[in-house]
Amino acid sequence: MNTQINIESRQRTQAASSSLQVRGLSLRLDGRVVLRDVTLQLPATGITTLIGPSGAGKTSLLRCLNGLLEHWQGEVRIAGKDTRQWPGGWDALRRHVGLLGQKPCVFPLSIRANVVFGIQGFWRRRRAAARVEHYLRQAALWDEVAERLQQPAQRLSIGQQQRLCLARALAVKPRMLLLDEPTASLDPTSKHLIERSIGRLANELPVLWVTHDLEQARRLGGQVVFMCEGRIIEQGASEAFFRRPQRLESREFINWQVCDCGGPS
Amino acid sequence: MTRGHWSKLLIALLALPALLLPAASLGYILWRAGPVLDWAFVSSADEGMGFGVASGILPQLTGSLLLAFSACLLAAPVALGCALYYQLCAGTGRRGILLILLQMLQGIPPIVFGLAGLLIFVYLLDWGVSLASGAVVLAGVVLPLLTVNVIDALQRLPTHYSESARSLGLRDGELIMRVWLPMAWPGILTGLLLAMARALSETAPILFTATVFSGAGWPDSIFEPVTTLQTHVFYLAQEAADEQAVATAWGSAAVLVGVVLIFALLAQCLRRMSGSRSD
Repeated sequence: MNTQINIESRQRTQAASSSLQVRGLSLRLDGRVVLRDVTLQLPATGITTLIGPSGAGKTSLLRCLNGLLEHWQGEVRIAGKDTRQWPGGWDALRRHVGLLGQKPCVFPLSIRANVVFGIQGFWRRRRAAARVEHYLRQAALWDEVAERLQQPAQRLSIGQQQRLCLARALAVKPRMLLLDEPTASLDPTSKHLIERSIGRLANELPVLWVTHDLEQARRLGGQVVFMCEGRIIEQGASEAFFRRPQRLESREFINWQVCDCGGPS
Repeated sequence: MTRGHWSKLLIALLALPALLLPAASLGYILWRAGPVLDWAFVSSADEGMGFGVASGILPQLTGSLLLAFSACLLAAPVALGCALYYQLCAGTGRRGILLILLQMLQGIPPIVFGLAGLLIFVYLLDWGVSLASGAVVLAGVVLPLLTVNVIDALQRLPTHYSESARSLGLRDGELIMRVWLPMAWPGILTGLLLAMARALSETAPILFTATVFSGAGWPDSIFEPVTTLQTHVFYLAQEAADEQAVATAWGSAAVLVGVVLIFALLAQCLRRMSGSRSD
C-alpha cells in the first residue's frame, strides 16, 4: 500500500516539475498523417534534443507545441495547463513558448527594433529598448553590434542574424524554447556561440532542440528523443542513447543507415 | 537564316502592332492637340463664354482628378478590408468565391454602374448630379481592380515574415499593422495609382451622375456637380463642325492621356520597387 502511494506521489511530483507534457498528440496535414500518438515529457530545465530523419515530424511537433499549428488531436500541457485552454489564447501561448527556426528571418528594420519586435504595445517596446543590451548579450551578439544598433539588421551575417532572432525570441520572455535546427546553415563559430548561449539559458528554462547533427546532439547532452515517421521511437539520457540505443531503428539511424520505422502504409 | 532567327522574326512581327498602335495613337493625339496645347490651355479656366470651346481646361482637369481621388479614397478601405479578409480569414472555398465575385464585378460594363448610380444616388437618395454620386459610382468601378492589386501586394510578401511574427505571439491586428502594411505599402500604392488611372479613363459611370458640360468650376460642396476632362472631350467631339471645339477636344484628350500615363508609369515604377524588395 505504502509503495503504491509512494509511486503515485513520485509520478505527481515528476509531472509537476515537468514543464511540458504531451499525450497522444496526432496531426494530419492535407490528409497525410504527420504525427501519431506522440507522448513526451520535458524536464523543467535543460536541453532535450529531438533527432530523426527528414520527414519524421520534428518540425510539425514544434509547431504544434508553439501553437502555430492548431488543429491536432491529443493533449499538450505546459506547467500543468492545457494549451487549448491557454489564458489569452494561442497568441499568448506563442509568447510563452519561443520558437527559433532553421533560417534566420530578420525584419527590414534596425537591429534594435528587431530585438524588441515581439514585445506587445508601443510604450512597452520603448521601455524594453533599455534592455536590448541584456537580450543581445544573452544571444552572444552584443559585442559585435553594440556600436551599430541603429543599422539595418539585414546587413548582418547569417550567423549574426540567427543570434539576433534568438535575442528577439528571448525579449518576449518565453518560459520554454523550441529550436528547429537553429545552427543548420551556420559557420562553426556562430554554431559554437549559439550552443553556448542556449546551454546557459537551459539552466533556467526547458529547451527542445531539433537537430540532424548527431555530433551536436551528443555534445548538447541532456535528454535525447528519437522520432521516425511521426512516432517517438526511443527517448532517454543522451549518453546512454548514443552508447547503447535500445531500438533497432535508433541503432540504424545512429549508424547512418536507412531507417525503416514501419510507418504508415 | 536559322530556324531560331525565323521564329524570333515572327514573334517580332506579331508584337509589332502592340508597340506601334499605342505609339501611333499617342503621336496622332499629340499632333492634333499641338495647335492648342500650351501652358495657358492647361492652367486657365473657363470664362463662362463659349461653353469651354475656346478656353482652358483647368476646371475639367481638377474635376477629373478630384473625382478619381475621391473614388480611390472611398474604394481603398473597402479593398483593403476585402484583401485582409482574403488573406487572414477566408478558406480556400471562400477565397475562390471572392475572386469570382471580383471578376464578375470587373466584367460589368461601366455604363451599367452609371445607370445604377443615376437611379440610386441621383434620384433615390436625392444627392443629385454631384461629386458625391460620381465618386461612389466610380469607387464601385475601381474596387475590383484595387482589391485584386492589394491581394497581390499582400501575397507577394515572403511568408516567413508572417510566420516569424506569429511565432512571437503577434495578434492578427499587430501582424497587419506592423508587418503586412509596412511591407506591402509599395504594392498597395501601385494598386491605388492604377485605380487612379482607371478612374481617370472612365467616362460612362460619371456621365449621368457627376458631371455637367459647362458652368461648373471648383465645387463648393460634395453635392455639387463637377466638369471633367473625359466628359469635356465627349461633348466637344460632338461639335464636329466647329474646328475650334474639335481642336480643344484633342487638346483635352492629350492632357487626359498624359495624366493617365503619369499614374500608370508611377505604378509600374513602384511595382518594380516592391518586386525587388520581396525577392
